[in-house]
Amino acid sequence: MQKSLPSLSLLSLLLTLACAAQSAGAASVPAGVALAAKQEWVRSNGAEPETLDPALAESVGANQITRDLFEGLTATDTSGKTVPGVAESWKQVNPTTWVFTLRKGAQFSNGDPISAEDFVYGWRRYLDPKTASQYATTLAPFILNGMDVAEGKKPVTELGVKALTKDQLEVKTPFPVAFLLDLLANTQFAPIHKATIDKFGKDWTKPGNMVGNGAFMLKEWRVNSAVVLEKNSRYWDAKSVVLTKVSFLAIEDSNADVKMFQSGETDMVYVLPPGAYEQLKKSYPAEIKNGPMLGLRFYALNNKDPMMKDLRVRKALSMVIDRDVLASKVTADGQIPAYGVVIKGIAGADVTSYDWAKWPMDKRVAEAKKLLAEAGVRPGTKISFTYNTDQYHKKMAIFAASEWKTKLGLETEMDNLEFKVLIKKRHDGEFQIARHGWIADYNDATTFLTLVQCDSDANDNKNCNRKAEELINQGNQTLDPVKRKALLTEAARLVMEDYPMIPLLQYTLPRLLKSYVGGYFESNPMDHFRSKDFYIIKH
Amino acid sequence: MWKYTLRRVLATVPALLAVITICYLMLHATPGGPFDTERKVSAAVLANLQAKYHLELPLWQQYLYYLNSLLHGDLGASFRYADWSVNDLVAKALPVSLTIGGLSMLIAVALGVSLGIWAALRQNSAADYLLMLLGSVGSAVPSFVLGPVLVMVFAIWLPWLPSGGWSDHEVRFWVLPIALLTLINLSTVGRVMRGSLIEVMSSNFIRTARAKGLPMRIVVLRHAIRPALLPVVSVLGPLAISSITSAVVTETLFSIPGLGKLIVNGASNRDYTLVLGLVILVTLVAVLLNLLVDLAYAYLDPKIRY
Repeated sequence: MQKSLPSLSLLSLLLTLACAAQSAGAASVPAGVALAAKQEWVRSNGAEPETLDPALAESVGANQITRDLFEGLTATDTSGKTVPGVAESWKQVNPTTWVFTLRKGAQFSNGDPISAEDFVYGWRRYLDPKTASQYATTLAPFILNGMDVAEGKKPVTELGVKALTKDQLEVKTPFPVAFLLDLLANTQFAPIHKATIDKFGKDWTKPGNMVGNGAFMLKEWRVNSAVVLEKNSRYWDAKSVVLTKVSFLAIEDSNADVKMFQSGETDMVYVLPPGAYEQLKKSYPAEIKNGPMLGLRFYALNNKDPMMKDLRVRKALSMVIDRDVLASKVTADGQIPAYGVVIKGIAGADVTSYDWAKWPMDKRVAEAKKLLAEAGVRPGTKISFTYNTDQYHKKMAIFAASEWKTKLGLETEMDNLEFKVLIKKRHDGEFQIARHGWIADYNDATTFLTLVQCDSDANDNKNCNRKAEELINQGNQTLDPVKRKALLTEAARLVMEDYPMIPLLQYTLPRLLKSYVGGYFESNPMDHFRSKDFYIIKH
Repeated sequence: MWKYTLRRVLATVPALLAVITICYLMLHATPGGPFDTERKVSAAVLANLQAKYHLELPLWQQYLYYLNSLLHGDLGASFRYADWSVNDLVAKALPVSLTIGGLSMLIAVALGVSLGIWAALRQNSAADYLLMLLGSVGSAVPSFVLGPVLVMVFAIWLPWLPSGGWSDHEVRFWVLPIALLTLINLSTVGRVMRGSLIEVMSSNFIRTARAKGLPMRIVVLRHAIRPALLPVVSVLGPLAISSITSAVVTETLFSIPGLGKLIVNGASNRDYTLVLGLVILVTLVAVLLNLLVDLAYAYLDPKIRY
């Protein structure tokens, strides 16, 4: 994915963006709010984290914890905004080169100072094939030689990161990465304490062994039960950290999660059970939260399938699904109807939609029928829909099948599979229509565009639009954010005119949070919270 | 007796090998692998991962590699939980399952046997009918219904106990899951004990004992209970195993870090080594329990000798 060098005219623009040290995005307790004597937060965190090693962490749950244990050059505040982390300031010396200056006094939880070399080690380790991080190729394309290093084609020493001095880190990107600062907030790019890994090997993430640099330290890890963190007094902004202890409970079953909230065992329900939102909203008006999230629910269409390769069929199938009814009556949890691959709130591109989205349903159905007739697909034709065993997906699938049956006369054969089997079939192209979902890895439209890009590992539709591809490449080369946004938006519009998939809904985060927990913002679309921003109100 | 025990223990080895081999092949034949996620892993990264877990080797070599590790007491690295070995995971989950499963079995046996005796001695009375009705309800109502009811009553309406979670040191976390498992097993033990005692009480040697003028209490305690316990002992083996392995519903309902949850998660994550490790453990427990049941037979029934 390495791109050509930027033009000289671009180089002449040499951006020198200096960023003065900003105030830390720590817990800001509003005036007049009395704090509880005991600052301990117990929260549900979904499934057991697969790891606490930031290089290996892939799941949302694991990253929720690593964000407390580690901090990169940048970080996110409670509203999801990127704020300085270990880096005090930075400047972009040319379109693809950045220099970060580390803050004085930043140290690991054992008191060792953090140097630029610790970042170099951490980044190289993350992308080293020996580390075998499943998440390596997600962020690797944005660091010079990242993909080649992750794929073992180049040594780790070739990675575009260098310690200029003890306090200065140079980062090179293969092309101008407009959202680099956001990207670096991921803890995969955190500094890592090499001596700890050398000493403990695989066991370095265990309580008592782990040395991190986040606002909290690992105190206890009971597998499938709880990860308990305590405040790191050596954290550079420790004075702003209000909580003294955070417990992340591993609660997979969302019904059990709600019950534990009701009985006062936890202060936060990670995500509500399907169909429970409306009732819980009435029961807990002060505790219910439901902000939009950067995630898209959609149905992948196998563009290589004999029937699905016809654009008219794909378009007809998409047109007749009433997203408004789906959102308001079927899922009924505040999710937002989606008509494009780019969703609300994501940076780097505008939301695109279809003309017919505003048409009355009768007109949409008439048009869809016409398209099917032109494609030679008659009423009664069988189509195959594959989804994984889950109450939520089942409800959506039944609705979609009923839309296709009642409006187009198509017979849907539902294939309910176990999750891994669905994934395998989808990756191998053994499907016609399949359930899919995608959560943004970083706040930029390109994370969603990978779903419809040619030769992308994330593209299960196997569609390809070379014109859109070119626009994305152009967008990635430009430094002008307005121009870049226009190019990516146009690319998204163009590729979606091919109807490679059926966008359905944008995720939201329906959850419950005790009213005495302060610091939560519903408008954090990446769901990248850090416990340093939270506090317990006297109650 | 010792020879018999040794013979049974040695017979475990081929049985275990067969279980491992069948399970190994079945796991690898299941579609979807440990590294299949929503985001398709690139070919190069997949190669890195496979190399890390020796999955790039031919299946028979992987199998031998696994057996070799096993002989050294190493159940391998977990594919899903990167920071833990299977030995670690089992060592953490086993005490939890043993606590819940063991205590609930003890209570269920003590209570079930007592209630069974009580009902048998009052056969066809109102108390007997009521008890057996409750027993039938206990057997018929599934744990995923009974569990939430217990939580609703004792954790939410009457906030006496935690609705979930686990602590090795705080008994209050144990109460509801143990109560649920006990209720499930209690009815089985009680019904079997009742039926068995009724049958024993109508046998000739009991009639003889009573004809000799022995008081009822002595007849029951000295002569009837031991033979009547045999069918109860027979069901204890399967019940005990299911208390550990099939406790997944209880573990999910109460968010308990036990073995049942690990097995289900291991299977759905295609965590080959974790599933195999747990299958080996469960097989060993099953063999051990069956052996104990057989030895208990010999103790309870003088006619049985090994």
